[in-house]
Amino acid sequence: MKPGAALSYEATPAFSVPLRFFLTAPLFGMLAGLLLMMEPAALASRWTPAALSLTHLITVGFMLMVMTGALFQVLPVVAGAAIPGARYVSAVVHLTLTLGACLLSLGLLLMSPGMLLAAAIVSTLALGIFLIASILGLWATPIGPQATPRDLRLALVGLMVTLALGIALILILSRGQPWPLLELLRLHIGWAWLGGVGLLLAGTSWLVVPMFQITPNYPGILTRVWSPIAFVLLFVWSVCTLMGLSIPATVITALLMLLSALFPVTTLWVQAHSRRAKPDSIFRIIQFSMVNILVGLVVVAGIELTLLEGTHWPLVAGILIMHGGFVSFISGMLYKIVPFLAWLNLTQAGVRAPNVKKLLPEIAIKRQLLAHALLSLTLLVAAISGDPLLIRLSGMGLVVAFALLLSNLFKVFRQYGVQQKMHSGYKEIAE
Amino acid sequence: MSIPLDVRGLEPPQPFECIMEQLADLKAGQTLEVLLDRTPWPLFRILERDGHTHRHVVEQDGTVHVWIEGL
Repeated sequence: MKPGAALSYEATPAFSVPLRFFLTAPLFGMLAGLLLMMEPAALASRWTPAALSLTHLITVGFMLMVMTGALFQVLPVVAGAAIPGARYVSAVVHLTLTLGACLLSLGLLLMSPGMLLAAAIVSTLALGIFLIASILGLWATPIGPQATPRDLRLALVGLMVTLALGIALILILSRGQPWPLLELLRLHIGWAWLGGVGLLLAGTSWLVVPMFQITPNYPGILTRVWSPIAFVLLFVWSVCTLMGLSIPATVITALLMLLSALFPVTTLWVQAHSRRAKPDSIFRIIQFSMVNILVGLVVVAGIELTLLEGTHWPLVAGILIMHGGFVSFISGMLYKIVPFLAWLNLTQAGVRAPNVKKLLPEIAIKRQLLAHALLSLTLLVAAISGDPLLIRLSGMGLVVAFALLLSNLFKVFRQYGVQQKMHSGYKEIAE
Repeated sequence: MSIPLDVRGLEPPQPFECIMEQLADLKAGQTLEVLLDRTPWPLFRILERDGHTHRHVVEQDGTVHVWIEGL
């Protein structure tokens, strides 16, 4: 055993630790669908209160919720890092993050200064506790040749910057602070997309994509430098933006976009060299996700170069990158991670666990991912056409797709319970 | 006596399942010598729980070499 590695072998936290986050997240996706059904104006412009609320239901309520839950149990499995007191910390973080996401979405929808301030306080509490706990866990991790633990640390810093910028925006909206709104908003979006979610997805992918998709490893040079370069560029870009240095900021924006594109391009490349005999639906959804991110980046480039004018283009870019890209990727990973964690927890408890494919059949996954992918396309058409009926139908589609996701995750949880109960029954008979 | 086992290129949790199967037949004085694509942290926890002595080395190409002693 390597010196200093002892901390890595602490017991894996209970299955309930990440599961409560995973089962809550789709509920926010369903809420986003309901909002779209009731307020088609959410797709009229990205600045409407309904659009801001919708965005945060997906980003904070769904994406951040899943990523937080995943880090609690995936870190011990893939990086050997254990979050101290995971059971208690996760309960508090889950409660405060759920409350924070509700207050933030409702506060933005109603443009209520009081609710937004409360959201800022509760979200800071949630992320603050989580960040301290995960930083303690990650710092105790032995640094190996893998880039993942380092990139997850950078992503956590990126999330902190995103949160700080979000609080600054809330203070502008609720207290009328004389800070530059548009610049801070740009930084908030940049840090959220690349500094938080982007780094988290990339850092996780370096390990999880080759592991579950049987692909070659990502090129070593890419995993070594991608995240640190992205982080430094984001920092320099932020300083240039705040100082009003428009030419350097534009050059760095272009570099950031090229760097961002490198991640999906390389993921598609390693997937093309997979040793898997027959691609499953999760393999396909990861490809779909990467293509969406790439097309989304092209649309952002078109907007930056003023080639694509019109209020719907930023929405199109948002749908492509966030729904088609991030939500697809996160859903695919959930389907790999949740049955695997159920299997692992059962095995560690001495239960003879069934094959992971029996914990959640491929057909159920395929059905949900197909609904999700079709919905991504419908959302795009709805945003471009602005047709209220199509927008309401897309909202209904969101409710259905996230409800199917919830139902699939619940199936694994139910199977987990059944296996545990059977094992206890056998033990009682044996005794 | 050393028993080699190469589980590189298998999708999780197959490597884990193969190792557990081999462990069931591993006798005292025997060593299971496993080649994996990555460090199997969860396996180590189970090995320690069950009292198996183990050590591992990460090779230059990322291959992880694990030695597990039989009980």
